[in-house]
Amino acid sequence: MTTVARTAPGTSSEPGISQGVRNAYETELYKLMSQLTTRILFLVCAIGPLAFAAILKVQSGTPSDALFGVWVHSSGFAISLVILGFAGSWGFPIVAGVLAGDLFSSEDRHGTWKTILTRSCTREDVFAGKLLAVGTLAVALMVILATMSLVAGIALVGPHALVNLSGVLTSPGRMLALTIVSWLLCILPLLAYTSLAILFSVATRNGILGVLGPLLVALVTQLLDLIGKGVIVHELLIGSAFDGWHGLFTSHPFFGQVLVGSLVSLIWIAACLAASWRIMRRRDFLTGVSGRGPSWTAPIKVVAISIVVVALLALGCGVGPTGVTAYRVAYAMGREFNNVTLLQQQLIGRRVPANARLDIEPNCNRRASKAVGPGDWNCTVYVYLPETNAVPYQLTSVEYDVSVQYNGCYKAQSPPAFLGGPTMLAAGGRNVTNPLFIVYGCFNIL
Amino acid sequence: MYIRAVDAVRATGLVKRFGTTTAVDGVALSIEFGSVRGLLGPNGAGKTTLLRMLFGLIRPDDGTVELLGRTFDHLGGDALDGVGGFVEEPSFYPYLSGASNLRLMAKLDGWHAGSGEIDDAMGRVGLAERGEDRVSGYSTGMRQRLGLAAALLRRPRLLLLDEPTSGLDPAGTRAVATLVRELAADGVAVLLSSHQIGELEKVCDSYTVLRHGRVVWDGTVDELEAQAPQSAYALSTSDDARALELAARIPAIRIQPAARGGLAVAARQDAMDELVAAFGDAHVLIRRLELVVSPLESMFFALTGEHDAAALDALEPQQLADTILAGA
Repeated sequence: MTTVARTAPGTSSEPGISQGVRNAYETELYKLMSQLTTRILFLVCAIGPLAFAAILKVQSGTPSDALFGVWVHSSGFAISLVILGFAGSWGFPIVAGVLAGDLFSSEDRHGTWKTILTRSCTREDVFAGKLLAVGTLAVALMVILATMSLVAGIALVGPHALVNLSGVLTSPGRMLALTIVSWLLCILPLLAYTSLAILFSVATRNGILGVLGPLLVALVTQLLDLIGKGVIVHELLIGSAFDGWHGLFTSHPFFGQVLVGSLVSLIWIAACLAASWRIMRRRDFLTGVSGRGPSWTAPIKVVAISIVVVALLALGCGVGPTGVTAYRVAYAMGREFNNVTLLQQQLIGRRVPANARLDIEPNCNRRASKAVGPGDWNCTVYVYLPETNAVPYQLTSVEYDVSVQYNGCYKAQSPPAFLGGPTMLAAGGRNVTNPLFIVYGCFNIL
Repeated sequence: MYIRAVDAVRATGLVKRFGTTTAVDGVALSIEFGSVRGLLGPNGAGKTTLLRMLFGLIRPDDGTVELLGRTFDHLGGDALDGVGGFVEEPSFYPYLSGASNLRLMAKLDGWHAGSGEIDDAMGRVGLAERGEDRVSGYSTGMRQRLGLAAALLRRPRLLLLDEPTSGLDPAGTRAVATLVRELAADGVAVLLSSHQIGELEKVCDSYTVLRHGRVVWDGTVDELEAQAPQSAYALSTSDDARALELAARIPAIRIQPAARGGLAVAARQDAMDELVAAFGDAHVLIRRLELVVSPLESMFFALTGEHDAAALDALEPQQLADTILAGA
């Protein structure tokens, strides 16, 4: 005789979560983990960083367009941070879409709403259970990706010090802490994308739109980042919330973007989930698998609304204070050039006094009709070198092509004729990354 | 033993509109414990909409539902404790096995089903050997059986079944009928919606007939047989000529030679009893007496078809059979 443990619905031994929600949560977790797509996601997050690091290990090239990309052969933390950058742009939207984009619409496709809603659980239970399950898996995937990226970087490259976004060599311990914090800061934006995928899934009842929705939003975010000089609309996009961690890697950390990004993520989460629940609560469950096929009316409405929203966002991108200005670019470039020049001197074996500073005057101009905003910039750094036997100063200048993003991060590259190639010989004959060849930095746009 | 003072289902004044169409219009329904009620109606009569409202899958625009004595808030939950069944064809997660699906259903009900419970439920519907197979490989009939297993797993006190024998072979259909009667004998209230009138006749104690969203008839089997128009029979005797003479003496009997041999008879049950007795007295042996159109079928046709009861009573036997069977 089988023993059966029955618990009265609606009761729980743990405060806060009802038994019904826990039952639905465990059910949804089991269903999600039984699906091939979820298992593939876990596999990719576990093995992907190792494969990425292994590929970088056997080739000399670097993903230099990504922040810290030029340092992937020098420090394992750079590998984790490059992966974090890719994940913020594309990886997390994909994870959110695949995990949550079909979470509700699959019940329509399989005709199983009537199966689960005729058991002893409420719509609230099912809704909350699904949210908790998908949130759990999303965070679990992020933790696995973060852990494996660190493991891969440290194992294949080493836990070495890394040049931060102000051009200062930072200790491994501090880098490890900052990297972990950076990954953790991405939890809220990831959950925001997940909530958006849930809304797509609930509103359209179409798994394709649900899965692709977050990815399309990420794409639109990237495109909107290229236009307009105002910060308001940009900061309201989920994708921008993934940029908050950049400010932690400067010598004078700024936290405004972290706070704004977290707040914006919470607003997205609340808005998407409230809208999803409103739809779910009011819905009549009419058709089963034998009924009419999924309606395309809702998807078409969603697409039409999305187009209007994107158009309005594009128009609004110029609204508000300007984030990227010539002063900010020049100030950041000048400070960073000072730091990486001193670092280069140290690398080639010269003694650099503590608190040494170069006499520098940077001048930056945007290569377009508008003098402010993200895009291609040109910076000329004038360096006044002290001469011991002649005139007081010798003036020299260094040209940098600077690609500035909306979020205040930039990549500056100098032609090899000025400062040498991507690598150089350090003291002791080691071949190391030339810190002056490609410079990454970030400044506060708020 | 259940308290019989409370009906298993008590629905009053249920209304559901979709745009300008009123799918269910003021329906009242009650089912006692231990009884099987058949829910009948042509396509579009509102049977499935009514079942969906009982399950809380759609909200009524008006009216109330009480299941097992509990007022239903139309959003699921513990109001459905003790209520099993399905609407339209049962649906499950195709990437899971039948047993796993049942385990999930039990989990949603708030309890952990052991393998013994699952095996027992699967065994009762003839799926014992296929429990670990993925549902994606199940036939329609097997999914139907799994739906019954999922309903039984809850140990229901009220069973709401929509076309439960759809896709089943004759043996499966008989097994379902037996199962329903066994459950009713144990005190379970059953609402059975089906297009297969013949199957309902074998198990139902009472009927509710819907047309255009309204209840057009509601009553017990006895009431139905008393009110039904004439039924049609196929009759074959040892002496058909003599049988015609005997039948002609009973005014309520209409009889004629059938096109394919034998005799076609149209009569109500009491008249038919009188005819059989007359055959006995006259030593006319009955070799075949088959109910071609049952009281339920003729009643259903009268309530939902183009002919009313009086018109059906006026039809000759062969016409009656042809008319009703053509409309079935």
